[in-house]
Amino acid sequence: MLDAILLFRDALYGALVIALVCSTLGVYVVLRRIVFVGASLAQMSTLGIAISFWLAGVGIGGALTDKPVILSLLATLLGVVFFSTGMRRARIPPDARIGVAYVVAGALAILFIAKAAVGEAHDIFLQGNILGITRSDWLLLLGVSVPVLLVHALFYKEFLFISFDQETARTLGYRVERWTLLLYLTIGLAIAFAMQFGGLMLVFNFLVLPAVTGLLMARGMGGVFSWAIGAGLTAAVIGFSLSVPFDLPTGPTIVAASGGLVILAWLVRRLRER
Amino acid sequence: MTALVTFDHATLAYGRRVVLSDLTFQIPDGDFLGLVGPNGAGKTTILRAILGTLEPSAGTVTRRPELRFGYVPQRDQVDYSFPLRVLDVVLMGRYDRVGIGRRPRRDDRDRALAALDAVGIRELAPEPLTRLSGGQKQRTLIARALVGEPNLLVLDEPTTGMDLVSTTQILGLVRELHERTGLTVLMVSHALNEIANYVTRIALVQEGSFRIGAVDEIVNERTLSELYGIPVEVDSFAGHRIVLARRGSAVVKPGVDRRA
Repeated sequence: MLDAILLFRDALYGALVIALVCSTLGVYVVLRRIVFVGASLAQMSTLGIAISFWLAGVGIGGALTDKPVILSLLATLLGVVFFSTGMRRARIPPDARIGVAYVVAGALAILFIAKAAVGEAHDIFLQGNILGITRSDWLLLLGVSVPVLLVHALFYKEFLFISFDQETARTLGYRVERWTLLLYLTIGLAIAFAMQFGGLMLVFNFLVLPAVTGLLMARGMGGVFSWAIGAGLTAAVIGFSLSVPFDLPTGPTIVAASGGLVILAWLVRRLRER
Repeated sequence: MTALVTFDHATLAYGRRVVLSDLTFQIPDGDFLGLVGPNGAGKTTILRAILGTLEPSAGTVTRRPELRFGYVPQRDQVDYSFPLRVLDVVLMGRYDRVGIGRRPRRDDRDRALAALDAVGIRELAPEPLTRLSGGQKQRTLIARALVGEPNLLVLDEPTTGMDLVSTTQILGLVRELHERTGLTVLMVSHALNEIANYVTRIALVQEGSFRIGAVDEIVNERTLSELYGIPVEVDSFAGHRIVLARRGSAVVKPGVDRRA
C-alpha cells in the first residue's frame, strides 16, 4: 500500500497543500456564513476553466488555453469583487445574488464544457484530477498558498475584527470594505489555484468540513484553526491511503473522510456536553 | 464646556432620500444624552453622522480633533457564535491603538482586565462569549468600548431584548460610569420610559422632527403630545418619570390619522 501511495506522492503533497490553505481560510468562510460565497467562487473558477477548454477546442486563445489557471483566476477575481463590494448597495438580498452567480456560472460552465473538444473535461470539472498533480504543480500551489497564509498570519486580528463586528471596526477607523476585499481576494486566489487540481467538490469540502470539525472540537479561535488544519490534512492522508489501494476516486474518498471526521467531532462534542 | 460633536444645519440623506434636515445641536463634553425615537425615525442615521460613517448632504457635522468613540453596537450586529473568550473581545477595543499587523501587548491585556473590572465582570475574562447571559454580553461590549479610552461612549439600543433586572443593571452601570468618570455618553433607544430616568438631556426624533433639551424640557405633556400627535401623560412614581398615552387617545396632529 505504501508503495502505491509513494507512487503518487506528488499528488499527495498537492492534496496536503490544498487541504492546508483551504482549511485555514475555511474558518472565516464558515464563521462569516459565506459558505455559498465559497461555493459560488469555486463555480466561477470552474467557468474560467471551462472557457479555457472551449477556447482550446476551437483553436483560439493562445496562452489563455495553455494555462486554464489564468481564466480561472480572472473569473474568480471577478466574483471576489462582485461579492465583496457590490452586495452592500444592491437592493437584491445577498443570498439571492450568490444564488444567481452560482447557478449562472454553473450552467455556463456546463455549456462551455459540452462544446469543448477535450475528452477528460467532464471529470476535471467535478472531481478534479488530483492524481495527475506533478512536482511542479504542487510547488506552484505551495508558491501561492504560502503568501496567502502569511497574509492571514500577519492580519489575523484585522480579519477577525471585521468578521466579528464590522460596525465597531468601522468606528475605530478600519476601512472595512478594503479589508473584506483583501480577505475575499485571498480566498478567491486559493480557490482558483486549488480548483485546477482538486475540482469543485474537493475544494468546497476543504473550505467547509474541516472548519466545522474545528468549531465542534475547540473553544477558542487558535484551537479552531489548529483542529481545522489537522482535520483537513488528516482527511487528505486517509482519503489517499484508501483510494489508491482500493481503486476509489481520490477526491470523493477525501470528502468522505472529511465527513467521517465531522461526525466523529460531533460525537465527541456530545460526550463532552453530557 | 467644549463641544465634542456639532451639527450645523445638517441634512442627512441616503442618496436622494432625505431622512432629517436642518439639524443644529451640539454634544458638549460631559453630556449624558439620550437619543430617542421609534424604529425608522432616523436615530441610526443621526448616530452614523455622529460617528462619521455618514456625511451630511447639506450643512456640516464637525467632530473635535482627536475625538475617540467607544461604540457599543446593537446586540444583533455582533455574531456571538464566534469562538472568542471575553478577554479577546475586550482587546478588540485596543486594536487601532495596537496598530495594523501587530499583536496586543501585556499592557493592552492589563487595560482590558481593568475595563472588565470597571463593568464588574473581571472573573469572566477567560470564559467563552457564547456562555454569557445577555447582560454579561452587554457588559463585555461596554468594557470593549471603554478599553480604547474614549471621549464619547455611544450605546446603540443597549437594553433591547433584556429583562427588567438586566435593563436596570446596564442603565445603572452606564450612569455610574458617567458620574464616576465624567465620561460623555450618548445612549440611543426607542424606549423613552427607560432612558428618561437616567440621562440628563434628551434628543427626540419623531416623523422627521427633532427636538433636543434637558429631560424636563422634553419629557412633559405639552411637548410630547405635540411631538407624538396624541395626548400624552407624564406621571411620577417612586421618583421615576412614566410616560403614558392617554386612554382613547385621539389624533391631535393635523393631517395624521393614527387609525390607519
